[in-house]
Amino acid sequence: MTLPIALDAMGGDFAPSQIIEGARRAVDELGLQVILVGVPDLLGDPLGLEVFACSEVIAMDDDPAASVRKKKDSSLVRAAELVRDGNASAMVSAGNTGATMASALLRMGRLPGVVRPCIATPIPNPGRTPTVLVDAGANAECTAEMLVQFAQMAASFVSARYGVASPSVGLLSIGEESSKGTPLVKETHELLTGMAGINFAGNVEGRDLIPSPVDVVVTDGFTGNVALKTLEGALKFIFSTVLEVIGTNETTKAAGDVLFEYLLPIASQLTPENQGGALLLGLNGICVISHGSSNATAIMNALRVASEMDQAGVVEKLRTTIRPDQN
Amino acid sequence: MTADAGTSSSLDRTAILAIVREQLAEILEKSPEDIPEDVPFSDIGADSLALIELVEALEENLSAYVAGFHIDDEDLEGLLSVRDAVDYVVVKLQGS
Repeated sequence: MTLPIALDAMGGDFAPSQIIEGARRAVDELGLQVILVGVPDLLGDPLGLEVFACSEVIAMDDDPAASVRKKKDSSLVRAAELVRDGNASAMVSAGNTGATMASALLRMGRLPGVVRPCIATPIPNPGRTPTVLVDAGANAECTAEMLVQFAQMAASFVSARYGVASPSVGLLSIGEESSKGTPLVKETHELLTGMAGINFAGNVEGRDLIPSPVDVVVTDGFTGNVALKTLEGALKFIFSTVLEVIGTNETTKAAGDVLFEYLLPIASQLTPENQGGALLLGLNGICVISHGSSNATAIMNALRVASEMDQAGVVEKLRTTIRPDQN
Repeated sequence: MTADAGTSSSLDRTAILAIVREQLAEILEKSPEDIPEDVPFSDIGADSLALIELVEALEENLSAYVAGFHIDDEDLEGLLSVRDAVDYVVVKLQGS
């Protein structure tokens, strides 16, 4: 029996209407099973989808950990419980990222041996499989041992999700030489070098995020989040600038007519809404965190990713990676 | 350690310290012996999320002794170390 995906219908800047529309499209266009988790009086028309009713909503600016304790009947907490209790195969939310992580962590629990879950964000890599950035914001302060575990989990994820046999791992730093970087980076470099089961490619720099020569880029959550947001901002600026230039006059518009055919596929590949969101690695269940500004298309893609994670058996593969002796 | 069914009177400070250490060790993937009593949580790698994990684990564990054992969210700010947590639970159980 295929279990539905629990979708937090109350989370996100455009919730609940765009969330519900995305769910409907995932059901109609992708054949997925989705259960909306939300407050019936606030949901509006559920478009014929099943609703798991709750009574509270965790706001985007609520304190993550505290809100999960105080709002036990919130859509986020209930969605995580549906996964924990075996009533859903995965959860998806575009809501408060910290609270999503806290809900998933406290309700699903960590895989044995995992010190801290991390956020893995696939970055499109034209011409090859995406590069996964870990940690993209879950843990601002990390130890070298945590970074090593993030690298192990991300490599296992890339292998399961994208079929890469021996994913290469790069350590984000300010230079390729092993002597470059903070004490944390240097210590992590030392641990990763020659480590069994890790195809360590050495240090990579910020410019190596896209296009990237490696399958995994590992860093602490603070640096990872800054890097990711910088990349998003730069891409957004480039897109808007290109469009602005093309609209300058009749000549540039004519040039745009020719170029659009070639530019649009690349733009589509790089657009966040087509990526499906980030994944929480290290939990005893699947949790996909979608962008706060997710529209219906982004939600549909996040649900697709959640389903693919389930189909690929990512959680079980991570379990084996972290504690190979217990399998 | 999973507490056996019993009453709060069967838990002395030593037993509570063992429970707190064991639960926190499990969360931080450390050995209970590596969980000092007087060092601030932040210095042993326990962030706010880890503390919430600890609180929920203690509530579940100690409910075997006192039905519905609950740690008030307002009291969390005062719990800065294992010793603080143990002292808090001792007082809380005495009042139950």
